[in-house]
Amino acid sequence: MRLWFALPRTAWLSAGLLSAALALAALLVRALMGAGGDNIATLMLLQAAAVLALAVFSGNSGITSFGHSAFMGLGAYAAALMTMPAAVQKTALPNLPAWLQGHELGLLAALAVAALVGIGVGMASGAVVARLSTGSAAIGTLAFLIILHVCLVGARDITRGSQTFYGVPRLTGFGVALATVVLFTFIARLFREGRVGLALRASRENEVAAAALGVNVGRMRLFSWALSITLACVAGALYGHYLGAFSPKDFYFDLIFLLIAMLIVGGRYSVTGALTGVVMLTAVVQILRQAEAGIDIGFVQVPPIFGLPQLGLGLALLMTIWARPIGMVGLSELSPATFAAKLADPPPAATPAPRAEAAARSLAVRDVTVRFGGLAALENVSFTVPTGQVTGLIGPNGAGKTTLVNVICGQQRPTSGAVLLGDIRLSDLPPHRVARVGLARTFQNIRLFDRLTALENVTVAAQAAGHGRAVAEELAMAELQRVGLAGRWNELAEAFAYGDRRRLEIARALALDPEFLLLDEPAAGMNPAETDRLIAMLEELRRERPIGILVIEHDMRLIMRLSDRMVVLNKGQKIAEGTPEDIRNDPAVIEAYIGTKRPTLNQRGEMQ
Amino acid sequence: MEFFLQQLLNAVSLGGIYALLALGLAVVFSIVALINFAHGELMTVAGYVLFVCILYAVPLPIAVVAAIGAAAVAAAATERLAFRPMRRADPTSLMLTSFAVSAILKVLFQNGISARPKPVPLPPELSGTLTFGPVRLGTVPLASILVTCLSLAALTLFLKRTVMGKAMRAAAEDFQVLRLMGIRANRVIAAAFALSGMLAGISAALWVAQRGSVDPLMGFVPVLKAFVASVIGGLGSLSGAVAGGFALGIAEVLFQAYLPEAALPFRDAFVLGVVILILLWRPDGLIPAKTGRRS
Repeated sequence: MRLWFALPRTAWLSAGLLSAALALAALLVRALMGAGGDNIATLMLLQAAAVLALAVFSGNSGITSFGHSAFMGLGAYAAALMTMPAAVQKTALPNLPAWLQGHELGLLAALAVAALVGIGVGMASGAVVARLSTGSAAIGTLAFLIILHVCLVGARDITRGSQTFYGVPRLTGFGVALATVVLFTFIARLFREGRVGLALRASRENEVAAAALGVNVGRMRLFSWALSITLACVAGALYGHYLGAFSPKDFYFDLIFLLIAMLIVGGRYSVTGALTGVVMLTAVVQILRQAEAGIDIGFVQVPPIFGLPQLGLGLALLMTIWARPIGMVGLSELSPATFAAKLADPPPAATPAPRAEAAARSLAVRDVTVRFGGLAALENVSFTVPTGQVTGLIGPNGAGKTTLVNVICGQQRPTSGAVLLGDIRLSDLPPHRVARVGLARTFQNIRLFDRLTALENVTVAAQAAGHGRAVAEELAMAELQRVGLAGRWNELAEAFAYGDRRRLEIARALALDPEFLLLDEPAAGMNPAETDRLIAMLEELRRERPIGILVIEHDMRLIMRLSDRMVVLNKGQKIAEGTPEDIRNDPAVIEAYIGTKRPTLNQRGEMQ
Repeated sequence: MEFFLQQLLNAVSLGGIYALLALGLAVVFSIVALINFAHGELMTVAGYVLFVCILYAVPLPIAVVAAIGAAAVAAAATERLAFRPMRRADPTSLMLTSFAVSAILKVLFQNGISARPKPVPLPPELSGTLTFGPVRLGTVPLASILVTCLSLAALTLFLKRTVMGKAMRAAAEDFQVLRLMGIRANRVIAAAFALSGMLAGISAALWVAQRGSVDPLMGFVPVLKAFVASVIGGLGSLSGAVAGGFALGIAEVLFQAYLPEAALPFRDAFVLGVVILILLWRPDGLIPAKTGRRS
């Protein structure tokens, strides 16, 4: 586990700035809103704590959780049972089980109980969330909302069912709320920059690519969910001790709707956005609540509209998603660099230490057969990719190249046969394990983490290779330098042009420090000049590192020039293997590509 | 025996309603990847149209057709107004849009009509029981099962035999290719929404027939259940939606009938707990959706 204080200094400064800004906003509300100011400011801070808890999971993973309000309820009831005076407990909850009676703990101890409940429930429910796909996971959280609500209503002896649970000491004041929010801001902000947060954000942008770079997406989701639920339980406990009396309905749909609206309107992709949304929608809700009873503007009388705050939240949410889906704040965080760009220095680039040289292993495809129903996409394909060389894999459309790539990278189980790296069976491993064993890849349709910076894209891979944050960033800079993108380290990947995207993807794969690199049509869509630069870069790479490269390509010029050996697939079968020279003159290859025996390939590998 | 048969009947009729709702969700999800929270409000629209028709003594069959039509129009309208401008958005944004639409419509119903339930009296011949030899069975559940079966059969015919139906199935597997075949995307999507609205309308009629009243939150609970059903079946899978709907309905009724008294308040928690176990076993659902995507 990497330690948090190893994080970039800007993350700490940013968290400090955010805390200060929110504290200022809360103090202003308290001072300006008159008699109710203290209450409104405290409520705003508690909602900020809840939204931060939600953001730790939903913001980073991209999976909307509808369950958080119910987990807050769980924390509220758990903590309230601990602090409730024994005398009140006797009348309010006559049938309370003995082990819950008469604890009369202080607030801090009660919060610790809520946090423990959160860890336990969070780990258990997280095991489910971690296994589901993004859409199903959102509905899974909805199921948790209903399950917990039903349990809170059903456990009458403990919670008074749907009746009001009263007699909870009002221990949450402005100061307690503020201290909690500052703590939560630091946790959320540092978590976002940390190893898990960065890996999760990468999976949010592109789950397949994250797994192919060695990120165990499920485990990252489990970890962040458990943390997020723990924070939600603590926030709920504080909210309960602010309300003093509540019922399960207070922790159901209306609350989660408010929290989600705040997160989305402010901006789900940053902690700054989450906090901005809380402040803005607090203002909107306060104003609309005044207007709910009806307004008299001189000549016009607006009739009372029941549910006006809900209507306002709905419209705010709708307009945000239409006009600016990334929210008011967008992707960047409030940090010292917001005010002085020169504070955002690139990290130094480190020369990667040469890999501890194990016995050179080879990547072997052994008798791989894949059948889809009756169709054999691959039939008994075998070949070896030696280390230190470039192996080219070609074949006409429908030859089975993509299927073979999927088998090698663990995305498709072969019907029979295996792919071996040394003596490890890659074809039995999930994609993220394949990456860690030593095989990195790029994708036919480039899969970058679009809304992460170039440096973050590459750092994800370096961290997955086992480096701490600082070292990972230095290695990432070195890889960016190699592909000529170091000057643009701080730009978002989505801003890069096509050729640059290809090169960034290669830099990212190399940051894994793989023994083998699989390039899936690296020159697709490139013009001749770009292809030449790519060839030069790959040739240099081959000289520098003992790495085995497998290139799948349509571009004959590139593959003929680069490959030491070539493998040709046609209709699921290997029809030729040898040096580019052999392949160029192989009649079976020519027939597969052209269909007749007449034309041949010239010296430059072009069809004549 | 009679108790068991009645419970089975209830289970199948409830499962049928969930199946129709889940199918409506699946039709839309399979094509535009939208998890539609506003589906419940389509039910509510149909419920209110039914209420108004019966208030003005419109014959029941016409009232039901009007209600189903109104839900279809409402679905197409939400597509045109809220979701079409969002065509390029990611699934999460789409889902949140529907979440907001749903919240806004609820407030509008509460203020425009009434926050309180409105009674929808059924014709007396529907409220009794039918006697088959020694067993008496409720008319409403029987009619409900009949309607569900007819709807499923009609839907199957539509999807397999008509051009638009085939286009919808094709769109679910690969929308880009469908467009390259010269099919107009907007028409397929609008038709999918209208179809999901019709399904919501049918389920609303069945739901109201069992409840006897409509209120602004009427669609909330059944559609939550339908979400769960569509996940058990496999998000976006049509046969999965039907399987999930029936499985959920049957599980609910069985738990209701056979759970001990003390555990009854926790019925939904038990049912959803089982659902979660199923998902741990099969994360992509019982009958996962097919898609044709390359890496």
